[in-house]
Amino acid sequence: MLELREVTKRYGRVIAVDRLSVTIHPGRVTGFLGPNGAGKTTTMRLLLGLERPDTGTALVNGRPYRALARPLHEVGALLDAGAVHPGRTARAHLGWLSSAAGLSRARVDEVLELTGLTSVAGRRVGGFSLGMRQRLGLAAALLADPRILILDEPVNGLDPEGVRWIRDLLRGLAARGRTVLVSSHLISEMALTADHLVVMGRGRLLADTPLSGLGDGSLEDAYLKLTDRAVQYRAGDR
Amino acid sequence: MKRAILAEWGKLRTVRSTVLVPAVAVLLGLGVGLLDVASIDWTTTDPAALDPVGESFAGFQFAELAFAALGVLAISSEYGTGLIDTTFLALPRRRTVYAAKLAVLTAFTLAICGLSAFTAFFLGRPFLARHHAAASLGDPGVLRAVVCAAVYMTVVTLLGFAVGALIRHTAGAMAFMFGLVFLAWPVARAVEGVSTLPSKLLLVNAAQALTATRPITGPPAARVPSPGLAALTLAGYTVLFLTAAYWRFRDGRR
Repeated sequence: MLELREVTKRYGRVIAVDRLSVTIHPGRVTGFLGPNGAGKTTTMRLLLGLERPDTGTALVNGRPYRALARPLHEVGALLDAGAVHPGRTARAHLGWLSSAAGLSRARVDEVLELTGLTSVAGRRVGGFSLGMRQRLGLAAALLADPRILILDEPVNGLDPEGVRWIRDLLRGLAARGRTVLVSSHLISEMALTADHLVVMGRGRLLADTPLSGLGDGSLEDAYLKLTDRAVQYRAGDR
Repeated sequence: MKRAILAEWGKLRTVRSTVLVPAVAVLLGLGVGLLDVASIDWTTTDPAALDPVGESFAGFQFAELAFAALGVLAISSEYGTGLIDTTFLALPRRRTVYAAKLAVLTAFTLAICGLSAFTAFFLGRPFLARHHAAASLGDPGVLRAVVCAAVYMTVVTLLGFAVGALIRHTAGAMAFMFGLVFLAWPVARAVEGVSTLPSKLLLVNAAQALTATRPITGPPAARVPSPGLAALTLAGYTVLFLTAAYWRFRDGRR
């Protein structure tokens, strides 16, 4: 379970997250939507203890992330697939993470196999495509088989097989009672993956609703209507 | 803490740069030192006045910059790539991560520098012995000089680490370290007319004071501190920089 209580985060004069209160429940895939700059990534970083809220609290299983004794066992996160050292091999990257989590090297081989990276495990990450880096990021998130997953745009750069694989994986984990929070700009993909939606705009909560709660029309139309006033960066004139 | 140390050691040894840089440093340190000892002009040099240890360590002037680079890279590359976020996800306690990074880097550097200081000393000996200028480890001050040379290089590495953590940018931190190690010297000399204290507080002069095995004579004597002051200076630099760096490290990424 993930919880934000009245969380506000400012960067100078910009309010990235504005008195946000929302709870992400286990047992379902929660899709996290919102226009560019809505505060989705900042919200995830607040939950993961990478940013401190100015006011309010962000909790993971009832505790702040920084207070977790074995964080990788509780939460697996993929924020930025580029957040790896390009000079390190995929296996070495997962290797130091497994040391940090107190896991065996056998588990590294398991997640490499699970994410389809076994054949490139000995290659340096600098040569990986975005899709391969996403797979490595997912391997890192799944390393300690956590109860909670927080994934920021995980399908970016993945091939169709990879997109289908991650959809099935996330749905399977949620069905087994795990908490899954996944952001995306691909509404059609969300319609296939998520059970529940949390929509943000300009740092605020716009909707916290089951997928079916957004009307009978297309999800895209409902989303665009919902976020119309919250879009900060719009192409061209209209 | 044990998991953090294993993780940091895993990181340090799996990137080519943090393995190659100290290798280059050692080669430079030993190679230049050997060249220096082998090319002494014995027709104009008095074997009794020559500092046998200092001559063997001539290459360490170059090596120290490479060790500074090692210290910088050990942390700046994490900020450059965003890896620092992954580190904090795995080990959310900033103090533990910082302490583990320092412990691993210190042990790694001290081992390499200790080994190369003793190697440089023993490599230079046959050349010096031919002219009856060689020292042995049992001679007064010699063991101290060799150990202090290794400690000094480790201090420079830790300063590089601190500056890397403060500036979070490899090129910027390297430029700062170059200034601190090499360019502070002419500045301190420029004010020597007023006071020699700035010169005495320089890293390079502290190193000179701690690694000399013969009394320093002539004009340099005025700017080289006593061994006690030199040790205090190195400790001061280390504490000051590492504390400032921790203050910024704890603060998170932005």
